[in-house]
Amino acid sequence: MKVFFFHLMPWPYLPDDFDEKYDSAWVWCPNSFFDPVKGHDLYNEYINSLVMAEEYGFDGVCVNEHHQNAYGLMPSPNLIAGMLAMRTKKMKIAIIGNALPMYNPPIRVAEEWAMLDVISGGRIIVGMVIGGGPEYFSYHVNPTYARERFREAHDLIVQSWTREGPFEFHGKHYQLRYVNPWPTPFQKPHPPIWVPGAGSLETLDFIAQHRYSYMGIPFFHIDVFRRQFALFREACERAGYTASPDQLGWAIPIYVSETDEKARQEFEPAFWYFKKNLLKGLDFIVPPGYTSEKSLVAILKNRGTFLYAQKTWEDVEKGVFCIIGSPETVRDKINYYGKELGAGNLLMGCQAGTMSHELTRKSMQLFSEQVLPHIRPAAGTTAAT
Amino acid sequence: MTEGNIQKPKWSVMAGSADRKHYIDVSGKRTQILTGGSGEPLLYLHGSGGESMIWLPFHDGLSKHSTVIAPMHPGFGESEGLDQTDGMEDLIFHYLDFLQAMELEKVNLVGTSLGGWIALEFAMRYPEKVNKLVIVDSAGLYVEGAPIADLFAYLNKPVKVREMVFNDPESFIAQVSVPNIPSPEQAVLSYRAFTAAARIGWDTYFTNPKMPERLWRIKAPTLIIWGENDKLVPLAHAKVYNEKIKNSRLVVIPNCGHLPNFERTEQFVAAIAEFIKEA
Repeated sequence: MKVFFFHLMPWPYLPDDFDEKYDSAWVWCPNSFFDPVKGHDLYNEYINSLVMAEEYGFDGVCVNEHHQNAYGLMPSPNLIAGMLAMRTKKMKIAIIGNALPMYNPPIRVAEEWAMLDVISGGRIIVGMVIGGGPEYFSYHVNPTYARERFREAHDLIVQSWTREGPFEFHGKHYQLRYVNPWPTPFQKPHPPIWVPGAGSLETLDFIAQHRYSYMGIPFFHIDVFRRQFALFREACERAGYTASPDQLGWAIPIYVSETDEKARQEFEPAFWYFKKNLLKGLDFIVPPGYTSEKSLVAILKNRGTFLYAQKTWEDVEKGVFCIIGSPETVRDKINYYGKELGAGNLLMGCQAGTMSHELTRKSMQLFSEQVLPHIRPAAGTTAAT
Repeated sequence: MTEGNIQKPKWSVMAGSADRKHYIDVSGKRTQILTGGSGEPLLYLHGSGGESMIWLPFHDGLSKHSTVIAPMHPGFGESEGLDQTDGMEDLIFHYLDFLQAMELEKVNLVGTSLGGWIALEFAMRYPEKVNKLVIVDSAGLYVEGAPIADLFAYLNKPVKVREMVFNDPESFIAQVSVPNIPSPEQAVLSYRAFTAAARIGWDTYFTNPKMPERLWRIKAPTLIIWGENDKLVPLAHAKVYNEKIKNSRLVVIPNCGHLPNFERTEQFVAAIAEFIKEA
């Protein structure tokens, strides 16, 4: 199992009464809440944590893209990846992802990723995403074209890396007479492509047919992962092959402390801040046309599976929305659920909400020393055995 | 079909049949229509909520003095054609083809909200096909200081939608039209409608920057009906239409929000009946 550290870079300084007074941490959450002086320290500490992951033996780190919100301060994950490329030497840098419809023209994505791949010596993993609902409000892109634009942008980007330029690309949404990006990627034919998402059936088939990897997104009940991963494996069978474990990514917050009690004590307040404040808005900001009608019915039925709908710590534990505890507890749970899910990539969120840098580092260290060595399968075995 | 020596046009045959609901092919797009009543043809263009899905009291009221023809726009309800609709221009061509398919030479054109915007765009391009024009709480204009509210941001908060759309959000009609917990079928139909509306209205927040400079092209006598307390498209818009459309009259309905056809059905129907009867 490969282990990645993902950081959301949240804003931890929202006031205590935020969720009483505001309906959303997204899109129209006033940017007067952002303090650039605090932000300076925050960004530097967050980036340092990501850099340290290499020392701690993680296989890689993940950064992601969100706009105009207190949930995550990376409107440009490629900028962060650039910093990481220069400050690390070995580990993978997974950008999960760029919201393709938000880039006009999408050739920009191909260029930036190629730069990162060349500068890092071929350590980039690229994530192509449709972009969350709120992004369509912030960037005002027409959501009724979300899927079409994503597909076309994907085609343009992959072609720009695999066809000799200059060539013409003539699509419904993007028309370019001279597609000819400089630089070209370091990895051939191109960096590995991951597609994170809630996984509509259309998306799963798309990923399976292209032999990309599917990353289940965090903050859903473990049943959702079980179902999604099963659906993905079926999609691969339909595409004529058996899914490999490294085509699956399990994203989940993980926190390690000296004992189970201490872990809950240290983690819980930070987690509730995250849940009640930073997820607020994701529960209702869904633009029209963004999802298919079939997926809509499924989403309505499964509303209770999202973290925002959970009320108590017991709900959180039962649904395995996070894995926290002593090193033994965390190791056992990762092995148990990891084996069941058969995912070859564990994307662990090591920092949530208001969790301090010190506690985050402590958790990373304990994880590195006492959990990591016990969760990677022995050479010659796969996660499924 | 013939009656004596006169062959009835398709729209008349359709409206004369026992069924309310019909389907016709409009340039390869199956189109759902409701019809009823007798008299001069009245083409009703619905708004973003897709209210011509079923025959409602306001359709019925209008049918007392007109043959009401109420299609669903491409992508709404059972009408096909979302994939062929990429902008207002496609909708205008669709309605040109629709009139031809229905054998309609000239109509009284009534449009609400998004339907009002379509009606305006059609009337300014094909004045010879429009006898009289009625626009009701219409989208289409950008008015400084009086923006069209963002309904899309709150589609999943029925309480907020009712507040934006109705003068009395707690009234029976409001609660039934925008229920707190829609059935899965209602949720899908509603989502489908707003998707089709977003296809046209998202990019410019339901405005056409060219509208003010084109309104002089409307030749038809025009009735502008507006709910005084419309929080979605403010009354200020009505005043601009009244100013810029030469032969226009404004009727403001008090104690009424964005949908007079729902909230003040009698006044809505009476204003239109009177307007159509006038010479």
